Amino acid sequence: MAQYLPIVIMLVLGGVFAAGSFIGSGLLAPKRPHRAKLAPYECGIVPRSEPPERFPVRFFLVAMIFIIFDIEIIFLYPFAAAAGELGTFGVIEVAGFALVVFIAFAYLVANGALSWGPSRKQSYRVVEERLASKVPTGVRGE
Amino acid sequence: MGSDLLLAGHLSLAVVLIVVVKVLVAFVALLVSVLLAIWIERKVISDMQNRIGPNRAGPWGLLQSLADGMKLFFKEDLVPERSDRFVFKLAPYLSVIPAFITFTLVPIGGSVDIFGHHTELQVADPPIGILLLIAMSSISVYGVMLAGWSSGSKYPLLGSVRASAQMISYEAAMGLSIASVVLITGSLSTRDMVTQQLGTFFGFIPHWNLIRLGIIPFVVFIIAITAEVNRPPFDLVEAEQELVGGFHTEYSSIRFALFYLAEYMNTITMSAIMVTMFFGGPDGPDPTFLHWLWPILWFLVKTAIFFVIYVWFRAALPRLRYDQLMDLGWKVLIPVSLAWILVIAAMRVSRPLGFALVLLGFLAALVLTRAISIGHERAGQARIQALPGEEINGDS
Repeated sequence: MAQYLPIVIMLVLGGVFAAGSFIGSGLLAPKRPHRAKLAPYECGIVPRSEPPERFPVRFFLVAMIFIIFDIEIIFLYPFAAAAGELGTFGVIEVAGFALVVFIAFAYLVANGALSWGPSRKQSYRVVEERLASKVPTGVRGE
Repeated sequence: MGSDLLLAGHLSLAVVLIVVVKVLVAFVALLVSVLLAIWIERKVISDMQNRIGPNRAGPWGLLQSLADGMKLFFKEDLVPERSDRFVFKLAPYLSVIPAFITFTLVPIGGSVDIFGHHTELQVADPPIGILLLIAMSSISVYGVMLAGWSSGSKYPLLGSVRASAQMISYEAAMGLSIASVVLITGSLSTRDMVTQQLGTFFGFIPHWNLIRLGIIPFVVFIIAITAEVNRPPFDLVEAEQELVGGFHTEYSSIRFALFYLAEYMNTITMSAIMVTMFFGGPDGPDPTFLHWLWPILWFLVKTAIFFVIYVWFRAALPRLRYDQLMDLGWKVLIPVSLAWILVIAAMRVSRPLGFALVLLGFLAALVLTRAISIGHERAGQARIQALPGEEINGDS
């Protein structure tokens, strides 16, 4: 475990540096709080609403999809470190595993789980189709 | 396995002292290089934009970053009243400490003898090696996420959820491209990576992982870490037009300075890691005199080149849109790096198996392309269905 000694020393040093900067700033900096200064930044507008606690669920989705790949990477590292000894068997096993993960990934992608953007072309095409089917022909194009 | 011979035997006081000195030197060197890096970035960007840039503090404005840093000590340190005070104060630590720790992995030169002890010019060479980099980059996601969440304000929150989604997305691609380096090295230690890259092909082409692995892992890695450290063109975290300052909008004074410091330290460390993994680290021509100096010099030159390339990215490339960013990360970089590592692994075992996997890769690419187009269609349809009825029906 002695190999980790420099890392521990660096951790302590980094912590001391950060804490020291805060203490230094606490001693040197002025303290004149004001209601406007302490308010959330809103480009000068007085904030009325509470801070938002909601954000698009897609971000959670990305985090969940990431776990799939994280697990795959976790399995890839031991294989990568020992690939020389595992030989053909190892490669075929890992390729099989990657294939299973890939199928799951392709399923997710096909479900639109990772489509973020406006995907303009597709949306417009669907809108056009909808308009064509719902709006009487005379109205269109006027 | 990696291990510094210095720490292999009995831990005497002299050994601990040498370790402390090494850590201190690395620490100071990193801080000084951050000051220089900020100056270089500002100067190079100014030159590229036909400006002069900082030129008042010190010769050629060299001391500008130091002056800025000192100024920030004298600025009022605000903690917004709606913030979660403990987490708000914790976040800069989570950002800056991993940045320091990652740097310990980088082999700066060969090995030297100090006071009768043989040691490597590298702060730490633990058996987990490069995994420490992945661990630390995961922890720095917490720094960004918690900073934005605890501010109690909308722009930091949006900036931080974006940042964390972006960073974990590209972390997968980064992990896969590092795995290919581990595969060809057969070890996780950064020192082993460097020693494996010594020598040449046919006497003149350097035996670097860049060439041994094909260019693709390197390209994936440079894109992934640019996103990982939130540098332009992937700096959606702090897209000024949309998010004011991003996750550190509410941070002022020295707390802001620490985030800024962490960003530049990460950039420098990642340049150094890239040199270590793909460009032979301290490898280079070695004239017969001053054997200890040349590797350090080569390492510094290569790292500086990569840092300037980052600056160049910033000056030359416009920022990506969020969906482009996500598409690039998930639908291009991850599948490509995954397929490439399998092909490398198979090629090492046997050629026929390798070509079989190349074929499989093309097949997978076709499947994925089809899946992407289906996905776009479904997402588009879902969006259309979510629209209010009258907008679709028009005036009819």
